[in-house]
Amino acid sequence: MQKTLDRLLTCLAWLSGGGTLLAVSLLLVFLASHGMPGIDAALFFGDTPWLDALLARKPIFGGIWPALVGTFSLVFLASVFSIPLGIASGIYLAEYASDHRHSLLDFMVDLLSGTPSIVMGLFGFTAILALRKTFLPGARTGLLLAGLCIGLLVLPYVIRTTESALEGIPDHLRLLGPSLGLTRWQNINKVLLPLAGRGILSGAILAVGRAAEDTAVILLTGVVAHAGIPGSLADKFEALPFRIYYLAAEHRSPQELEQGFATALVLLLLTGLLFLAAVLLQRSVERRWKTR
Amino acid sequence: MTERAAPIVEVSDLTVSFSGKPVLDAVTLSLWTGRITVLVGSSGSGKTTLLRAINRLNECFPHCRTEGAVRLKLEGRSGDIYKDFLPLPEVRRRVGMVFQTPAVLPFSILKNLTLPLRVTLGIWGNVLSDRVERALQEVSLWDEVKDRLQDAATTLSGGQQQRLCLARILALEPRVLLLDEPTASLDFRTTHKIEELLARLKERYAILAVSHSLSQVRRLADRVLVLREGRIAQELDPQHLQDTHAFQALLDEVF
Repeated sequence: MQKTLDRLLTCLAWLSGGGTLLAVSLLLVFLASHGMPGIDAALFFGDTPWLDALLARKPIFGGIWPALVGTFSLVFLASVFSIPLGIASGIYLAEYASDHRHSLLDFMVDLLSGTPSIVMGLFGFTAILALRKTFLPGARTGLLLAGLCIGLLVLPYVIRTTESALEGIPDHLRLLGPSLGLTRWQNINKVLLPLAGRGILSGAILAVGRAAEDTAVILLTGVVAHAGIPGSLADKFEALPFRIYYLAAEHRSPQELEQGFATALVLLLLTGLLFLAAVLLQRSVERRWKTR
Repeated sequence: MTERAAPIVEVSDLTVSFSGKPVLDAVTLSLWTGRITVLVGSSGSGKTTLLRAINRLNECFPHCRTEGAVRLKLEGRSGDIYKDFLPLPEVRRRVGMVFQTPAVLPFSILKNLTLPLRVTLGIWGNVLSDRVERALQEVSLWDEVKDRLQDAATTLSGGQQQRLCLARILALEPRVLLLDEPTASLDFRTTHKIEELLARLKERYAILAVSHSLSQVRRLADRVLVLREGRIAQELDPQHLQDTHAFQALLDEVF
């Protein structure tokens, strides 16, 4: 009986792993076959010569370059806001918080991670309305607001992964720093954070991926269909996920739908490149940590 | 070394509890340079807590309460480490501890040794290199690793890792060594090597070790303290250790 159960569970485990692989492969093949033919210079820059477009000498009509720049800016802003704050909060929860504060903050982080992104967008929108009526009559939705709201949305991923990576360090390594005369902060900075580096990176990767793909938040905080490359943090902007949504919902020709698939493929490649950059950065930091 | 020489560590009426549950109860003991004191006792009798009380490492755990005194003698001065005699990081540097599992960091062999020296003492350059070499020679590891100092410390064997841990502590120039079953995870040959090393080191450091191996206790100990339910139940001197039957009977009772 036990043997049959073991075999059944082994089978189930293999099937689950294989199923995931199959689903991802099918998605990639589908996206590549529909999107690949649409990827060319015109997809990115429309009718504008690519050099003029890159140097912002001429506006771009119909190309996704402004959306690519918008998404990249959003990810950058959200990361700058959420990664340091998330790591610091994770450190506080794992290393400093008393039991009472820990459970209170745990509840808050759970609440934040359970907040639907459209609610986060509404929060940003309402915040701007409140600012307009009080301190900043000129405040409007734009890149900075969207970046902050997305940062808030992805913050729990970084907090949770940092916290669990630190708490997962075994006791004998956790005690090592103090036993060698390191202060609490020296132990965190020089021993625990390097040991938890990989876990923290996985949280940062999750945050970057989530920041790149979210549409609901930006819908209410500054994204528009045609804005060009934003000139400042207060400007309206374009973004790849919104452009995909817009093209999928309102395409007027098969060519526009094909452009939607190609844009989705570009978004996937951009996210992949960001992941790769994060892994390379982590490896280089780890190499430095290990030897110097 | 005789009992008349001043002890390096004097523990008096030490009581430790976690979340109100007592683990050590009015423990009193002294440690001298030149003698290895071995703590024996069944699991949960408070051996590790006693070691950690002598370098205030119990305070890394929540809800720990310590009463009593641990007086440490350093360069002619002495004072209670629980009463601001020294800053806490310095107490822990001068009372070094080796854990049961070799606690090497997943860094290079060199960085395992230099990190605490750089961070706690601000030592760099030639002084740092000299200390590292001296510490590795003291534990007879220099010849084995001098050409591979940049290799990961985790590539060393268990015995080499434990000696690296010892070298890391010795480089910080402690006065006392606390060893929590330092050979528990090692094979017989490697254990023998570590024991020889400890026998050499005792001439310069006061050593308090925990051991679960009866044969090791007989080989290593100059004095045995039997811990039972958080109290020192009995103290055995070298004469007792030679009386095989009495020693065996006592340890049978303890374990």
